[in-house]
Amino acid sequence: MNRITGAIKATYNFFSGDAIILSAVIVAFVLGIILAQAVKAPNVVVALLFVAIIVASLVATLSRELVGRKRS
Amino acid sequence: MTGALWAVLIAAFLASTVEFVEAFTIVLVVGVTVNWRSSFVGTLAAVGALAVIVGIFGTALVVFVPINALRLAVGLLLVLFGLKWLKKAILRYSGLKAMHDEEAIYEEQLAEMRARGERPSVRVDPFGVATSFKSVLLEGLEVAFIVITFGSQANASANAKGTGILIAALGAAAALILVVALGALVRAPLQRVPENTLKFVVGIMLTSFGTFWGGEGIGISWWHEDLFLPILVVFYLAVTGILILWMRPYAPRKGAPAPTEQELEQPAQQEVIG
Repeated sequence: MNRITGAIKATYNFFSGDAIILSAVIVAFVLGIILAQAVKAPNVVVALLFVAIIVASLVATLSRELVGRKRS
Repeated sequence: MTGALWAVLIAAFLASTVEFVEAFTIVLVVGVTVNWRSSFVGTLAAVGALAVIVGIFGTALVVFVPINALRLAVGLLLVLFGLKWLKKAILRYSGLKAMHDEEAIYEEQLAEMRARGERPSVRVDPFGVATSFKSVLLEGLEVAFIVITFGSQANASANAKGTGILIAALGAAAALILVVALGALVRAPLQRVPENTLKFVVGIMLTSFGTFWGGEGIGISWWHEDLFLPILVVFYLAVTGILILWMRPYAPRKGAPAPTEQELEQPAQQEVIG
């Protein structure tokens, strides 16, 4: 069991190592597929939303790094 | 050679340079503390293993995986990889994380090896071989991943089976030759290689390419097709610049040590364990 957990952990750290980025990027792709393929939303809307979620994931994970820090 | 293939060559070269410089530090430590023969045996074995990985997975991807599924998977993985590199680069440039310092890592590893009782010997030493093999393989896996993803995607875009992976592998091989040549020349950690800047540039490239190919995979038609790629690069550069400016006031004052890589990675690791 420890080996399996270790392998999962190593894979996670290799590809992402950040839960916020991982979950947000998966959401961006799943939502993008739903909007583009199933809902047939306008191309520009899907593109903007897709890029916005990716950028938001970066902002969110960096915001977490600032928790407890004060402006100097 | 098309613009896409040039981009693949440059991205593979830059990313590989960063990873090989990091691996070289450990190879150097093994060479100095144990012996150069053990260090080279480990390195050659790891390079061979990486070539097999690229050959098997690269060929399998190009031959068996449909183009749209490939774009989706490659895009997703490149965005994840790119954001990981970009996050570290932003933290470093805003002063919230210590800059990557090969000299400090070299000294630390050297002390660790000597504390283990490792002394120079003439024979091939299993521990020395294993240490240099592990470091080159682990750092090289990221290179292999970039060569496979960039190469396979360039194959699909340029409609030239095999060329993309070959070009990406050439970029990685050129980086390896450069790092080995520089290392042989200076016989010290390659601290003058602008590793932090390279990581920043590669982070931007991976995220931009990942967004572009991933977007195509989910069904987005980018404005002006391939010409939209430089727009994405400029966009991510601007976003990164704004984020660095936003975070800089939160950096510890001069004199106070910035947290190390391990200290910053602890919360993420605890999440997984928890």
